[in-house]
Amino acid sequence: MTKFIIRRVIQALPVIWLITVVSFLLMQQAPGGPQAAFNQNPHITPDQINAWLARWCLVRDADILQTIQEYFGWLGVYNCTGGGFLSAQGWPNFLPTFLGGGTNGVLHGDFGFSISSGQPVLDMITQRIPATLILMGTAWILWVSIATFVGVLAAVKRYSAIDQTITIFSYIFYSLPTFWLGLILIFIFGVELRLFPAQGIINVRTSPAPFATDAYWKAFAANPWPQIVDIGQHLVLPVATLIAVSVAGDSRFVRSAMLESLSQDYVRTAKAKGLPGRTVVFRHAFRNALLPIVTNIALEIAFLFGGAIATETVFSWPGMGLLFFDGVNGRDYFLLMGILLIGSLFIVFMNLVADVLYVMVDPRIKYD
Amino acid sequence: MTLPDLQSPLALQYGGPSGGAPPETEDVEVALESLSQWQLAWRRFKLHRLAAIGLVIFGAMVLVAILGPILLPYDPLFIPNATRPGGDAPSLAHLFGTDNVGRDVFRMVINGARISVTIGIFSMIIAGVVGVFIGAIAGYVGGVTDNVLMRVVDVFFAIPFLFVILVAARFFGQGQLSSLILIFGLLSWPLIARLVRAMFLSLREADFVEAARAVGVSDIRITFRHILPSALGPVIVAMTLIMASNIVLEAFVSYLGFGLSEDQTSWGNALSNAQTVLSQGNWWWAFFPGMAIALTVLAINFIGDGLRDALDPRSRL
Repeated sequence: MTKFIIRRVIQALPVIWLITVVSFLLMQQAPGGPQAAFNQNPHITPDQINAWLARWCLVRDADILQTIQEYFGWLGVYNCTGGGFLSAQGWPNFLPTFLGGGTNGVLHGDFGFSISSGQPVLDMITQRIPATLILMGTAWILWVSIATFVGVLAAVKRYSAIDQTITIFSYIFYSLPTFWLGLILIFIFGVELRLFPAQGIINVRTSPAPFATDAYWKAFAANPWPQIVDIGQHLVLPVATLIAVSVAGDSRFVRSAMLESLSQDYVRTAKAKGLPGRTVVFRHAFRNALLPIVTNIALEIAFLFGGAIATETVFSWPGMGLLFFDGVNGRDYFLLMGILLIGSLFIVFMNLVADVLYVMVDPRIKYD
Repeated sequence: MTLPDLQSPLALQYGGPSGGAPPETEDVEVALESLSQWQLAWRRFKLHRLAAIGLVIFGAMVLVAILGPILLPYDPLFIPNATRPGGDAPSLAHLFGTDNVGRDVFRMVINGARISVTIGIFSMIIAGVVGVFIGAIAGYVGGVTDNVLMRVVDVFFAIPFLFVILVAARFFGQGQLSSLILIFGLLSWPLIARLVRAMFLSLREADFVEAARAVGVSDIRITFRHILPSALGPVIVAMTLIMASNIVLEAFVSYLGFGLSEDQTSWGNALSNAQTVLSQGNWWWAFFPGMAIALTVLAINFIGDGLRDALDPRSRL
């Protein structure tokens, strides 16, 4: 098992590296750049722009070689402050710092600075992670439990009125664009009925401080209940949007896994032995249907990351999806690279978790 | 020869031992007439009720996409005078109401069909062609080629998909239809490549391929004439899924303002400014283009479902 995990991690490394290369080249070779904000400003000379870009180790209209240099700078192989591939100590720059290597680049744990805000990229991302986790965690727990319940119900009552109703609704919800469903929910429950807040994560008028700042957490620790209620109210609409679409897809999956398992010989045997229906369904059929379900669930956590972007932009939810959206708008290369890298690491990690879970749920499978 | 009994869905769905009249001997004889794989599939597809509904809806959408802009021309750059700040509610004059500057939402939706359907169909074709080609090479050649190609596919699967689309559409798209089609097509082939490769890996060792090779059939002919037709079923189903998701993606990307330029009418563009006026109670501007998307996607999903059942060699009718 350990061997399997190690091998998978080693296999994943080149994939992640390729992702960073492709995305950096793509971004850098595209027309325009972070300096686009100054294009219309007659008081800023090209020299000033060049000097400004140089502070981020960037070159204006970089050719392919310069782009590779910039990429190596981001990675930490290249030292753009003068040393080239050597660090200030005269050793190869990619070595760990305590062995005489440089300090810049992700290899040394430095994700760089955001071009538009000037803050460290890692700080910006970690500040946004709680909001995304709150939204996605709540939605994920709810949708997995609802989808499992609905799917098992539909499978056990196959072809009944309940099954047909579930089928029709899952077809319809599965076809709705997430962001559009969000708009409609905002209109009905936020604008017309005024039941739930439609934008953001906290009520800025009553909240003690902006979300995820130190002051906010201090107030939260002192008296958490008003903040929890506040966030909970803001959660309702985005979570409902996410759940509606995801439950529709997943309940079909659970249903077919459950049907497959219900048609097996051991289920017939269990029924023939005279076991009560509940025991047959849950102890015999469901436990075996869990295998594909668990893998599917683990893989979906990875997609949560991308799925966040639609919901977060519609509901102005201050998470990583919205941060990425702002980064694309401002051509904030290092911020985008940071989010892409962390997102890809997360996906690869969740794929690994799915494989490991697979073994844990099904003792028949062995990796080595 | 036609088979009136076999073609009525009732006879097949509710026929058999438990109900319905037993088939006459004459029918059984004719049923033995040999049908190709595709004829059988088409027969099964026609019996799928939801798929038939889906095909009708999607056919209507294609018709609207072709004829709509001719019959009900719409120019997004022409701004009539708005009669009310939030736009007019749906009425007989404006079936779907008007937007905040008085443009007719019904015409907007009708004209948007052309771009959305075009994006769906062409990005699907690109994804299909590239995916089948690369999957076939990886599966048939194997070895290092397979390994390299599959690592590339891994990269596509591990990249947060929407992030790349946003970056690519913003940086390279510049609002052109053709570049959006290309971006969507080139980002959605890996799913198909993986499917085709898996099918090829198992079919490569099949007896009929062995036989073809023994007779001296060339590799290219074996790939395209012998293996590919057997592998096509799941690929076609996956392609319908890709078409549906790309139509939604276009809408989302354009809604964010990263997609098509403002002078083109797509359902996503129609939605892109709708959120700003929702708080004024102007629901129709957001509602109808979204319904058009949902209806189209629903129809495609129905068709995909019917195809899945029809093309599955294990299902018999």
